[in-house]
Amino acid sequence: MSRLREILPRRVDVRLLAIVAALSAIGILMVVSTTAGTPRADLATKQMIFAAIGLGCAALLLLIDYRILLQYSPGLYTLSLLALVYLPIFGKRIAGARSWIRFGGGFQIQPSEFVRLSTALLLAWILENDDRAFLRGRTIAAIAGAVALPMVLILVQPDLGVAVTYLPFVATALFFGGLKARWWILLLVTGSLLVGGSWFVLKEYQKDRIRTFLDPGLAARGAGYQVRQARIAIGSGGIVGKGWQKGTQSRLGFLPVRHTDFVFAALAEEWGFIGVTVVLGLYGVFLARAIALARDARDRGGSMLVLLLGIGLVAQALVNIAMNVGFLPTTGITLPFLSYGGSSMIASWGMVGLMLSVSYRRFVNI
Amino acid sequence: MPASAREDRRPVLNRLDALSVGALVFFALLLGIYWFHQVLRGGEYARLAENNKQRSVPITAPRGFIMDRHGAVLAENEPAFTLLLYRRDTKDLAASLLFVSQLLNRPVEDLKHRVERDRSYLDFVPVVLQENLTIAEVGAVQAHTFEHPELVVQTTERRVYTQGTVAAHLLGHLGEATPDQMQAAAGKIRPGESIGQKGVEAVYQDLLAGVSGARSLIIDSYGREVSESGRVEPLPGNKLVLTIDLQLQKIAEEHFADKVGSVVALDPRTGEILALLSAPNFDPNVFTRRVTRPEWDAIMENDDYPLNNRVLQNVYSPGSVFKAFMAYAILTHGGSPDERTFCTGASTFYGRSFRCHGRHGSVDLATALQVSCDIYFYTMGKRLGIEVIAETAKLFGFGRPTGVDLGREKTGNVPSNAWSLAVRKHPWYLGETISVSIGQGPLLCSSLQMARAFAALANEDGALPTPHLFHIGENIRTAERFVYRPPVKESISYPPGLRDKIVEGLWRVVNQPGGTAYASRRSGLDICGKTGSVQVVGQKDTKKANLLPEKLRDHGWFAGFAPRKDPKLVVVVFADHGEHGATAAAPLAGKLFENYLMRGVPPLAGLTASTGAHPKSPVPPHPEPRREPDATVPRTRI
Repeated sequence: MSRLREILPRRVDVRLLAIVAALSAIGILMVVSTTAGTPRADLATKQMIFAAIGLGCAALLLLIDYRILLQYSPGLYTLSLLALVYLPIFGKRIAGARSWIRFGGGFQIQPSEFVRLSTALLLAWILENDDRAFLRGRTIAAIAGAVALPMVLILVQPDLGVAVTYLPFVATALFFGGLKARWWILLLVTGSLLVGGSWFVLKEYQKDRIRTFLDPGLAARGAGYQVRQARIAIGSGGIVGKGWQKGTQSRLGFLPVRHTDFVFAALAEEWGFIGVTVVLGLYGVFLARAIALARDARDRGGSMLVLLLGIGLVAQALVNIAMNVGFLPTTGITLPFLSYGGSSMIASWGMVGLMLSVSYRRFVNI
Repeated sequence: MPASAREDRRPVLNRLDALSVGALVFFALLLGIYWFHQVLRGGEYARLAENNKQRSVPITAPRGFIMDRHGAVLAENEPAFTLLLYRRDTKDLAASLLFVSQLLNRPVEDLKHRVERDRSYLDFVPVVLQENLTIAEVGAVQAHTFEHPELVVQTTERRVYTQGTVAAHLLGHLGEATPDQMQAAAGKIRPGESIGQKGVEAVYQDLLAGVSGARSLIIDSYGREVSESGRVEPLPGNKLVLTIDLQLQKIAEEHFADKVGSVVALDPRTGEILALLSAPNFDPNVFTRRVTRPEWDAIMENDDYPLNNRVLQNVYSPGSVFKAFMAYAILTHGGSPDERTFCTGASTFYGRSFRCHGRHGSVDLATALQVSCDIYFYTMGKRLGIEVIAETAKLFGFGRPTGVDLGREKTGNVPSNAWSLAVRKHPWYLGETISVSIGQGPLLCSSLQMARAFAALANEDGALPTPHLFHIGENIRTAERFVYRPPVKESISYPPGLRDKIVEGLWRVVNQPGGTAYASRRSGLDICGKTGSVQVVGQKDTKKANLLPEKLRDHGWFAGFAPRKDPKLVVVVFADHGEHGATAAAPLAGKLFENYLMRGVPPLAGLTASTGAHPKSPVPPHPEPRREPDATVPRTRI
């Protein structure tokens, strides 16, 4: 026991843990600020509970050897996909999408958030089994398939926001797996064709978001209204911000979904450019830690897993932050650790748990 | 299978450097964008956010008062107190509600329901717990301000109908604007705003409502008022003086307190409605107070439809009252007033036996009217034919709207062969003409149409006035007045001496022994009129009528005017299931004539005296009124 107390801090990456804890604390403060004085004021307490559960899950995953998880990843992946297959068939529509599995007592989870863990494990396992300088064709196909399957199932729910969070996995896997120049060209061509083709598949509200992104003045009161009001919130925050719970844009209801997707705009309004810099900095340090852990990992699988998860989370954060200021089109994508939401919070913490697990076992002679 | 030793990971490590550079670029880009919006353009966005902190709170304009023709108040406004609950200041909701429940003696469940209903609003939007607190309740709430800061009493204005149920149907009532009404008003009416829904409140809504003002507020992030940045005062609504004579109205109301029916009293020369009543009535105050369930049920479950204005919306056979107009048809189509018919109590027309209610022997026109002999009019009606009868009825305004300023009215029916072919798809049966001759059959009219038609009999020049309630409108700030301007006058032409023959018969109805309304005569008033009854069920032994359930008894009519020379008042009384016009309707008419004519012609409305009663307007003087009263109101400036 005493030995454990000695070893734990040295083995567990406290810096990564501290960054994530700081982000979660900021998130809870923002949920308090955006909901205090409204009938949803109880969300802050819930968010605290979610963070605690997330921490618990991370601890649990830390204790399990990630090697075992990698080994069983095909099975885990298949099992988790069952939940996604279940939803379009039996799921109940909540807010227009079959994204949630309901349990008794108002308890519900969003499987698409958790499938990200098993997908990352499977991708790491695939990459581990192809350790040449450049990936083979069938490995590329396996990577594409492993990501495309959950993405398609999530898109039919429909939940474009969560589906988009799977894209960094493909990019990371291919980039670090190694791709020859001709593959990159092929990928770029098919990618742009897909983007073009998707216009015919997208729902009308999704098209509206892209239209208003390209031209925010298009609909002053329509979809563009949200982007505009978010930008007013951010801009009016100035350098030091209006102060905690003093953001008029967010508190008077001009900011859409201010405690979830647009929590960063609320933060920018109340904490100003200083707050923005601090939070962006925390995500930057988080990425730096992920890179460091990937370097130190004991094997290719561990490295890949840490990179997939770390880059996945940071890319999601950056897309959300860019979306808040209208730099990318609005999708229902959450800001990891900051946005209100149990599934997102717990899954994100779970991903951190896997990263810590790799780091914990970085010494070969364990 | 898993690689146990470190494989060649150099390519991966090289790529990590590339990632670091790429990420750095992206982070710097995002930081730059935020810098641009927050630091470089922060001031501009701050101004836009300031604009979002502006709130416009409407100030409802005081609604114009409604008076009777002598200045007695029918509808005014009074301060009302509303109990609000601010959830953001509520420490213990259950305790607050319990306190209110004990104070107001209301079930806690009701209060909980109200809080639940407004749950979706933000916390700084107050919940309305109870409208119309009494002064004692206001005092009690304010005495506990310290323990219950979340309870706030708000002062508002409420419409009050000072006479209660009196004149309810003509005044109408207020109610929350429906989506259709808001759309029709093109943005002039706010959601939740109370507007006139029936009666003159609805017809003269634009005139009475005035123009809302607004307060511009600056609010903080909790929605609390920080300061007022601007204020546009409301323009109070115009005062409306009706043609109604409250005294006359009240006599009619008392009589019909426990009966069903309708009364119209109007000045035949101008069409000014002096009394208009539909019984049973309702209390329009109920709608301003927010109707409670039992009150609403009481109104809706009443089989006599208290909300229905029977004067305009119920049509009946005119019965024997129609004989007055038959007389006109006879005299204008070659008939002589002296021609006699012999009544034996029954006679056969078109192979069918028609009965009379008595055996009148030899009768001329005047006697036939006096005793209401059916055989005389059967005989004359057969000779005239349905087309002449229909033409005469239309001349007197039957079968079309009277044009009254009181909303939708039923037009009734004037049957003819063309009507029968168009509506019933078969030709007119000649036998039906016999029924129509005594006002039965498919001939239908409203009390108001009857009153208008009788005005044309009362007026020596045959003028057929448009009945109306609008007397004078007054802008209380500028004292500018608008009076009623009658539309193009219609009239009936009377060949010389013809009208006197009809009036003689109508006079005898009331003033000679044997006249059907002889019991209702008033010495010196020279009331002229006609009684009538409307069969509810088919042929039956009238002597047994007393034994029938009330709802199967005949309706009774009386229509008349007085005095005989220069008539000043027309009265129509319709008593549902009153059985006989003579017993159920004529006595009230007698009372109304007596009251109105014996107190002399009243002076014009004392407008100047009553102006002071209106609360002083806080409005600064405007050089020009912002909105003219309803353009549909015919008016001239005086």
